[in-house]
Amino acid sequence: MACAGRETAASAVIRLVAAIAIVLSACCFANEASAHASLVSTEPSDGSMMANAPKTVRLRFNEPITPASIKLIDGEGRARDDVSVSARDDTIEISLPNDLPRGTQVVSYRVFSADGHPVGGSLVFSLGMSANKVIVPADRVPALDALIWLARVSIYLGLFAGVGGAFFGAWISRKSSAQQVIVAALVIGFAGAAVAWGLQGLDLLGLTPIDILASAPWLAAADTSLAPSLLVAIVAMALAMMALLNVSGRSKRMLSAVAILGVGTALAASGHASTASPQWLIRPMVFLHGIGVAFWIGALAPLAVMAKRPAASLLVILNRFSRVAVPVVAALALTGLVLAVVQLVSVRALVATNYGLILSIKLVLVAGLLGLAALNRFRLTPRLALDPLNTHALVRSILLECVIATGILAVVAGWRFTPPPRALVAAAVKPLAIHIHTDVAMFQVLISPGTVGKDSFVLQLMEGDASPLVAKETTLILSLPDRGIEPLQRTATLGADGDWRVPDVPIPYPGRWHMRIEALVTDFRKVTLEDDFDVPER
Amino acid sequence: MSRRSLLVAAMALAASSASAHVTLENRQAVIGSPYKAVFVVPHGCAGSATVKLRVQIPPGVIATEAKATPGWEVATVTGKYTGEYEFQGKKVAEGITEVDWSGGKLPDKTRETFVIDTFLTNNLKPNTTLYFPVVQECEQGVSRWIEIPADADHPHTTKWPAPGVKLLPAP
Repeated sequence: MACAGRETAASAVIRLVAAIAIVLSACCFANEASAHASLVSTEPSDGSMMANAPKTVRLRFNEPITPASIKLIDGEGRARDDVSVSARDDTIEISLPNDLPRGTQVVSYRVFSADGHPVGGSLVFSLGMSANKVIVPADRVPALDALIWLARVSIYLGLFAGVGGAFFGAWISRKSSAQQVIVAALVIGFAGAAVAWGLQGLDLLGLTPIDILASAPWLAAADTSLAPSLLVAIVAMALAMMALLNVSGRSKRMLSAVAILGVGTALAASGHASTASPQWLIRPMVFLHGIGVAFWIGALAPLAVMAKRPAASLLVILNRFSRVAVPVVAALALTGLVLAVVQLVSVRALVATNYGLILSIKLVLVAGLLGLAALNRFRLTPRLALDPLNTHALVRSILLECVIATGILAVVAGWRFTPPPRALVAAAVKPLAIHIHTDVAMFQVLISPGTVGKDSFVLQLMEGDASPLVAKETTLILSLPDRGIEPLQRTATLGADGDWRVPDVPIPYPGRWHMRIEALVTDFRKVTLEDDFDVPER
Repeated sequence: MSRRSLLVAAMALAASSASAHVTLENRQAVIGSPYKAVFVVPHGCAGSATVKLRVQIPPGVIATEAKATPGWEVATVTGKYTGEYEFQGKKVAEGITEVDWSGGKLPDKTRETFVIDTFLTNNLKPNTTLYFPVVQECEQGVSRWIEIPADADHPHTTKWPAPGVKLLPAP
């Protein structure tokens, strides 16, 4: 009886699954006919110029869509949150604020078509006769900057003192010491990461700190390159926390090793340094630098606590740490040097730019830190071998190291607000010249003036062997992933000199823009090259 | 009963994996054997009706024979192949390189298939994907399904993927 009942239930479940599958497939077939949504028309039309601001922007697609994210960047380069979006069937209507400034307005949209595929793009229109007006980015809010800085220092503490501390406990000292300090650092790190997410959104939308309670900044930040970086940082700190709580030495080592790799990954995933070229060099350099810093700074708190209450094992642990620390410091110096050379461009920039000044202060502090480390290794540790209980000098020295390390983190967090001289140099060079070279083709792109505002693009297309590449059509597609600006598409026109031109392309924001050039060579062959270019902050 | 239900469910789910692009109905083919390429056109260009479909025959594909589709005129372009192939004991160096259907009108949200009989020569590489670039011309606009995805298993990474067929080694 019971058995028969179960069978019925089982076949009922199977029938239900079958029914759901058929319904699903029916939906999908329906979608297949309707396909991905495509934009059919816009009001006003893309690239149009008008005297007075329209009340609404209408985007009409060829099928019903659901809006995912609609952004308006106004003529002053400010992301506006006072737009309301409504969708009806195949049309999205965006009500614009009344106080739009003159200049170029960008509507960046991302919608879901019925089959669930996201489709994105940007629509641009200009108000007033201000075709060449240069847009000044929104003013910064000082209180917000202070909070962003504090959140960044907190994340560094979590990553370096927290994750690094857990790594030290698992691999070097092989015992739990300074647990409270490490847990506290991790908790501060978690809080910093969460707050940094919201603050990034506030900065993006040009809002004040009180607006952090709204959902808009959090959603806006999710589209930026900071989001994956913060997520990796949070995972790394969570793994470090698990390593601390775990009792098995093997699990501790595994968890903390993965966590410290996460530190490098989180740092390499965002920030000024990781957007510099060449990427294949810079990202691994940042990755290694981050791991080295975590190894070093993570050791300080546990070493200080152990030195305070000296045990016989202290000397063994100190020697074990020193053996690894020497190559780590060498790697730190080498990776730091490479990064500095790429970012600074010239020695003079060390004192002539804010970025360079921060680096100079950091180098002075690092020199102090290295001096103390050398003192510990060559004077205080040998002395400890003679008199194992006399650790006063060592404790003082390590505590001073802790203070200097915190100072370095505080200084370095200031880089969030200073463009590296690399970007400033790029700003001075006019026009911006970009050379994209692959096996297939070679494109030379000139962007003038190469700054925020309206830019003209000249595209020279060449085959891989530098002979001219004859194209039927050429399309330029720009996007700014960091700001969540969706692809902006422009068709180039062929000039008498064989170059393709796209005049008056709006660049509403500074930052690392992504450029995609599609050249249709024959009806059946398209050559596509992509690259990034930096539009400097003013 | 229950087994049949499961089968129906599995078939329904498998069928639903078809995408919104112009695709090939048979996703796998064996090298060194005939291949019937069935091109599925699920929709027009951004809402506009399809009036012409052009298919480029990739190198290594020979003995092409375009099938008539009711309501459409079929035309072919012949030319030199990039290589020379052995086919039924003879050397073949030229043949059809492009097949066009025109003169018809396929409304936007309507599905139609276009068929070409071909032979896949042994010169093709097994375990790769063979792409047939397709140009879909509409009353308004053109959709060029000519992009070769970097990752053959995820054609959605490009916007306009060319229809592809996975090549299996000859048994």
